[in-house]
Amino acid sequence: MLADWWQYDFLRYTLFSGILIGLICPILGTFLIVRRLSMMADGLSHVTLSGVAAGMLLSKKIAFFGAVNPLFFGMLFSVVGSLFIERLRKVYKAYQDLAIPIILSAGLGLFTVLVSIADGFNTDLYSYLFGKIVTVSREDLYALIGVGAVVLGTVFFLYKELFAVSFDEEHARVSGVARKTINLWFMVLVALTIAASMRIVGVLLISAMITIPVAASLQIAGSFRQAILYATIFAEISVLSGLYFAYLLDWASGGTIVLMAVLVLMVVLASKKTGAWIRRMREENRA
Amino acid sequence: MKESVVRLSSLSFQYEDGKKILDHINFNMEKGDFVGLVGPNGSGKSTLMKLILGLLPPKEGTVELFGTPVQKFRDWTKIGYVAQQAAHGTGGFPATVKEVVASGLVGKVGLFRRLKREHYEKVAEVVKRVGLGEKLNDRIGKLSGGQLQRVFIARALVADPELLILDEPTVGVDQESIEQFYGLLRSLKEENELTMMIVSHDVGVMTQWVNKVACLQRGLHFHGTADEFAHNQDKILQSMYGDAIRVLAHHH
Repeated sequence: MLADWWQYDFLRYTLFSGILIGLICPILGTFLIVRRLSMMADGLSHVTLSGVAAGMLLSKKIAFFGAVNPLFFGMLFSVVGSLFIERLRKVYKAYQDLAIPIILSAGLGLFTVLVSIADGFNTDLYSYLFGKIVTVSREDLYALIGVGAVVLGTVFFLYKELFAVSFDEEHARVSGVARKTINLWFMVLVALTIAASMRIVGVLLISAMITIPVAASLQIAGSFRQAILYATIFAEISVLSGLYFAYLLDWASGGTIVLMAVLVLMVVLASKKTGAWIRRMREENRA
Repeated sequence: MKESVVRLSSLSFQYEDGKKILDHINFNMEKGDFVGLVGPNGSGKSTLMKLILGLLPPKEGTVELFGTPVQKFRDWTKIGYVAQQAAHGTGGFPATVKEVVASGLVGKVGLFRRLKREHYEKVAEVVKRVGLGEKLNDRIGKLSGGQLQRVFIARALVADPELLILDEPTVGVDQESIEQFYGLLRSLKEENELTMMIVSHDVGVMTQWVNKVACLQRGLHFHGTADEFAHNQDKILQSMYGDAIRVLAHHH
């Protein structure tokens, strides 16, 4: 069973992609969540979906686009969507979270229109929505490696700026941090990550990979670095166990990974509660 | 004549709705000054602060920092800023005292450079100086309001600024901590030769610690030494707040 993962190319691609997703999603997710932008991933994933549909439509109508992976259209739409969100956040300063439902609805609206224009697609849209192991190609993996390298490089070299902007945007600005550029670049990275990860986890579940491991980590982390570290560990546990069970039981990979992430969260919550209970009992006994 | 740190000349400001917030402010702050800026709510204190910090562009008149117009000023590490504590809302943020204070070095260290051991040594030194040495690795969520305020002061001081600006730093801090807080500010000022501006609506406490006072209510109603202010306090405050004001003196 485990030997299959090395024997078949598509399983190897899936495994490497999963490991990369488990690394970059929670790292970006930690910054997103502390900035109260956890819904951002949801908004952008729907825009990505419309990009994929646009790519499929073009390849159906124009032969030239047949050779282009719809994933790249997803990335393009997602990046444009992230720029729109930044713009809308400025327009609605007092209601910054309003930007996300606007972009989310626009993305979904465009997606349904494109699907109706194409009169349906032969390609399995279900896999884009919920993730499917057998659909990961070498090209998808390369795209993810490229995005992952940029994300990790950015977080390595701009960690202190990202932290400063996330913790206190006004102070960062007064300290001379190029806040606008950092924010914009960060949103572009989130957009690219969502698009590149959708083959494994699926567009509709990608935001779970960005938020749930971080939610678990925030319960126990003693520092921001720890929050990132624990979130990454929880995400890797979810991805690896999720992929294993998805293959074993022939379930949708995205759903299985997300269920594993929820399971990890519940274990963390229960352990924390049990730990607090044990401490209380010990103190009572001592008293 | 001492070096001018902040100079405002004929500074007026109105928001897009046309309401005039600041009207012809002329103000000079020299090196070594400890200025208390007082004024009622809505008097334009926060707007003035934002103009000095370059967060709002001056539309009429000029703002100069260390002799340079604020629009051209780039040396922001010379300025330490502590915002209103109420505006932070950062208690739930998963960061340690060390991480928060280190973020004050971000402008000084520069883009693409990572914080090194000597930077963290400096962080530990400043945290110890504000009396939180034992809390260095604690999550900020575990601190009291007064302790958290000292963390933000440490963040503002860690890059060795020449000018420290504090906006309503004692809001939400208990009376005992306020006394300690002003004592800390005074000793920091003397040790580091800091120039300081503190914005507060608590006239009674603050004016006992500063050496200059500026009273703002759209325009400057008073600008002089703390002693001059103390002698004319009732008259000045009545001209700002109207006859309804009753001055309650604090004695410490």
